[in-house]
Amino acid sequence: MIIQKTEEQELLLENLQELMSRVCTEDYIRTCEKNHEQPHKLIEALVENGFYMLGLPEEYGGTPLDHLTYFMCVEEVHKIMPPFGWPRALSLNEMLRLGTEEQRKIVADLVKQGNMAFSFAITEPQAGSDDNAITTTATRKNGKVYINGQKTFITGANISPYMLVATKDPNSPDPRKSVSFWFVPADAPGVTIQTLPKIGWLMLPTCEVFLDNVEIEEKDIVGVEGEGFLQLMKCFEMERLTNCAVALGSAQAAFEDAARYANQRVQFGVPIGSFQLIQEKLTYMAIKIENMRNAFYKCAWEKDQGISIQLSSALAKLYCVQSGFEVADDAMQIMGGIGYTEDCRISRIWRDVRVLRMTDGTDQVMIHIAGRALLKKYR
Amino acid sequence: MKIAVCYKLVPDEQDIVINGDHTISFDKAEWKIGQYDLVAVEAAMRLAEVAGGTVSALSAGGKQLENSKLKKNILSRGPVDAYMIIDETMSDADSYQTAYVLAKAIEKIKDVDLVVCGEGSSDMYAQQVGSQIGELLQWPSVNAIGTITLADGKLIAERMLETEVEVLEIPIPAVISVTSDIFQARIANLKDILEAGKKPVVRWDLDDIGGVPEMSTNVLSVLAPPQADRRRVIIGGDSGDQINEFYEHLRKEL
Repeated sequence: MIIQKTEEQELLLENLQELMSRVCTEDYIRTCEKNHEQPHKLIEALVENGFYMLGLPEEYGGTPLDHLTYFMCVEEVHKIMPPFGWPRALSLNEMLRLGTEEQRKIVADLVKQGNMAFSFAITEPQAGSDDNAITTTATRKNGKVYINGQKTFITGANISPYMLVATKDPNSPDPRKSVSFWFVPADAPGVTIQTLPKIGWLMLPTCEVFLDNVEIEEKDIVGVEGEGFLQLMKCFEMERLTNCAVALGSAQAAFEDAARYANQRVQFGVPIGSFQLIQEKLTYMAIKIENMRNAFYKCAWEKDQGISIQLSSALAKLYCVQSGFEVADDAMQIMGGIGYTEDCRISRIWRDVRVLRMTDGTDQVMIHIAGRALLKKYR
Repeated sequence: MKIAVCYKLVPDEQDIVINGDHTISFDKAEWKIGQYDLVAVEAAMRLAEVAGGTVSALSAGGKQLENSKLKKNILSRGPVDAYMIIDETMSDADSYQTAYVLAKAIEKIKDVDLVVCGEGSSDMYAQQVGSQIGELLQWPSVNAIGTITLADGKLIAERMLETEVEVLEIPIPAVISVTSDIFQARIANLKDILEAGKKPVVRWDLDDIGGVPEMSTNVLSVLAPPQADRRRVIIGGDSGDQINEFYEHLRKEL
């Protein structure tokens, strides 16, 4: 594995950096957060400059690229921005792979214009980590399909025109083949969406979705009926790497702010960076960031080489999101009281990174996946 | 319309080291494309996109021009090809030598209708090269161009002067230098960057363009101004007395 970036990767990241610095001032970020709105100006710039569709097939107007470069871009964006609904290429690719031509066209057209296209409606009040416990149903009647159930923690449900709703057939003889996905318009009669106020990710709403006899057509199934989770397994692995990229970009930003501050902040007549307790913190933060980058880049590289990342993506996700939070927390400690104020981006990073330990599989689920896989290797 | 846009590689200002004797060291500096030149490239590209035609990038300098990432960088901004006159003599060339070499290259490229330069170089900012290229080629040469269009085979340009805006009709071929805010340099995307690596680059040495004249200037030294310690005088408030006190401090220093 070669760690040195290629000239093309460097140029792409430099251009992305330039775009981000033009659009995303701290003031702009604060305004979007305060208004709980997506950063439309940034999304527009990403669309206009060909970044929004990175990783998507050319026939849908995208620019395909390798996973490693793709995730480097995600990291770069999140050095500055909190999560705001980009990137979506991984889930979109699966949708484009599994969907019908009509579904593919709808999704591609929406994404080209900078829309989220669809939200993933999987989690339910009683089915979080235990996603097999979902109870939302799809029932057939008079040639139509009716969806009933309740979804929760659905990211972007109220800003996406469609939802990819997971339903379960309680009568299926094989529980592994009982989950199906449906492409449901978010404005269909019977759909009620409520936002859940939360402490972070303020540009990206999280919602509860109530599905009351929502009528859809047979053609709205996505992929093969009953094989919902099996079809999307790869997608879940890749989402773990997105979490790594967000954690790494955020941790890098927090570290840089803290290191600069340690050089400037004078206490007891000297910069606080001259105290060994601060140096110790910065040193361990730097080690963690280096390890995060290595684990995560290696994982993305393995994906590009066709090597299974079932185990390595769980290990990388667990390490990156935990370390990302630890780095943000130590950065806040170095900044002291000022780091806890809203004027300082460390406070935002701190609250935004925390949830990565729960999204797309909690720390405990990552241990569950990795633990079993590790034991299996030595059986 | 065939447009040649000139650019210069300059040391990244973040990496410039000021030595104890106030001399300036570029030894550890990464090289980059001058920021004003990227704006010139954008102006050339916009004109070509509207009026039709092609844009070629043109530069003269030392071995830094061989850097393949920098070549891809300039070509990812839109030019179809690049011409480079590479010789170590050109590393320390003055504006006359630079203009001379570029003018000779423009003649050698043939059929160039318009030469676009930036406001000035990002390092020396002498703002000389554009005007001198025009003089050497005996073409109209106008600087401070803030807007530009093409109509009936002539350039219609607005020249931004201190207190007024001149609207000029400039016959081509011509040389123009554009202001730093005529456009914002474009962001290159992945396709642009990948395509840039495939675009042709023509490399000439000084012999190919008939040599370079002697320097017309003699640089005795380039020194950074001595750094002054901060005075750490803090004046709080906004009363007349306090503003006067603030003014007095400034006046003493000037």
